[in-house]
Amino acid sequence: MKALSLYQDRGTVVHRVDSRSKLLYILSAILIPAVLPGFMPGLAMLALSILILATGKVFGKVLPLVGFSLLILASIVLIQGLFYSGNKQLLFSLWRFGFYREGLLFSGGICLRVMNILCAVSILVLTTRPSDLIESLVRLGLSPHLGYVLSSVLQIIPQMTATMETITDAQRSRGMETEGTLLVRMKAFLPLIGPVVMNSLVSTRERSLALEVRAFSARSKKTFLNPPQGGTANTVIPLVLLLAMAAAIVWRVMQ
Amino acid sequence: MKKITVSGLKYRYPLTEELALKGLSFEIEKGEFIGIIGQNLSGKSTLCQALMGLVPHFYKGGYGGSVWVDGLEVGKAEIHEIAQKVGLVFQNPFTQVSGSKMTVFEELAFGLENLGVAREDMAPRIEHAMELLGIGRFRDRNPFDLSGGQMQRMAIASVIAMEPEIIVLDEPTSQLDPQGAEDVFQAIEALSRRGMTVIMAEHKIEKIARYSDRVLLLHQGEMVAFDTPQQVFSRDDLERYGVVPPVFAQVCKGMGIRNPATGLYPMTLDEACDQVVNWHE
Repeated sequence: MKALSLYQDRGTVVHRVDSRSKLLYILSAILIPAVLPGFMPGLAMLALSILILATGKVFGKVLPLVGFSLLILASIVLIQGLFYSGNKQLLFSLWRFGFYREGLLFSGGICLRVMNILCAVSILVLTTRPSDLIESLVRLGLSPHLGYVLSSVLQIIPQMTATMETITDAQRSRGMETEGTLLVRMKAFLPLIGPVVMNSLVSTRERSLALEVRAFSARSKKTFLNPPQGGTANTVIPLVLLLAMAAAIVWRVMQ
Repeated sequence: MKKITVSGLKYRYPLTEELALKGLSFEIEKGEFIGIIGQNLSGKSTLCQALMGLVPHFYKGGYGGSVWVDGLEVGKAEIHEIAQKVGLVFQNPFTQVSGSKMTVFEELAFGLENLGVAREDMAPRIEHAMELLGIGRFRDRNPFDLSGGQMQRMAIASVIAMEPEIIVLDEPTSQLDPQGAEDVFQAIEALSRRGMTVIMAEHKIEKIARYSDRVLLLHQGEMVAFDTPQQVFSRDDLERYGVVPPVFAQVCKGMGIRNPATGLYPMTLDEACDQVVNWHE
């Protein structure tokens, strides 16, 4: 089934680490390079993230994400290199435009930060089943109702897309033109979106009835089918990450 | 033992003028298989939802009379309390999938998690429900990857896992292909044989005639008859209520063959066959 998720089921050791540790890792990957000065901490963190992604056999899946963000990053380098307010030392000129050292360093820092966040989040997104992630958030205190909304959206949106396709085919078989000029497409939009909206309203009502039948609004404390992911790794990793973050902050304050 | 007691049940949907249920009163015994028939808009679905408490709690609207289910007054209890006594299955299998679970096994656990059932009690209950409905081999599949019939059996199983004593089915096979419908009927029959009280609204009249202990005929929100299938389908005024008797009864009626013991028309293939053979001899 098409699912709205980037999760890759590779069954590696990274996949077995619980989502709480991965969430904490994202936090540290953002916090530690931000607290410590210089490029080195950021580079080290990025290297660590890439190592983890490679261990999880999902490094290949990060590349398109990186490729997508490169466009934005390139524009940052361009603009900051040319127009950063602290620009003093001319590094090189291209045609009539001068690139300055300060601006390029500044934009380099931003790029490093973005890549860091991207890779750290990718670890979570690519190696954690969405339902596990949401379940652990609910365990941590997220409202079960909100948790349900988040997890059902991932499966129900592809279902709605499928309904949309069925309705498109049905309308087309009755002779409606759905392809062609902009005007033709715009004309086709209303007869398509009407049934889709009606259909989803009806199924939303039916689904909420079905959820009620399964005690969705029960106020007693929820239990979970899957046991919480335990094990030494899942206590050690959060501990190490918390200590690392604390150490970075303490070191910075002492400076 | 009376499992369900309905007395003077009246209900009006919000923003409507006419009553959807106009003072129904009846009783259902433990372990009975009850068929609810009637044309569209006769109140079948409303009655099914009234047994579960969705009427009036989900829709609000005007409510009168009382429904007692296993010692619980539906009008005053909350839906999640009633859900532990009554399970309700709807027409459309797709909209009954919670959508938040990745496998059939987890999907069946959804209701149990909501009720706060202890983890160690979940697996045996889910296994038992899957076995009853014959969906054990799909346990690791994504719920949306099942066929309509399989999905509907999963919907029944996920209600059964909550261990209700009564199961109400609102046209459970109307959106299924013949094979899927047959599988669902057999699963329901198996539940009935195990002593579960089954209440089923359905248009497939032959099935109702074959499985039901008693049939409740509704017309425009009123109860016209509540009796054995033989009695109900031998009525001469069925056409007025938009109900067509089972094909076997129609044939025997045309040939003037009645069961000599009861004076009623046969309802099922076997019964009709016996009577036709007797009639010839």
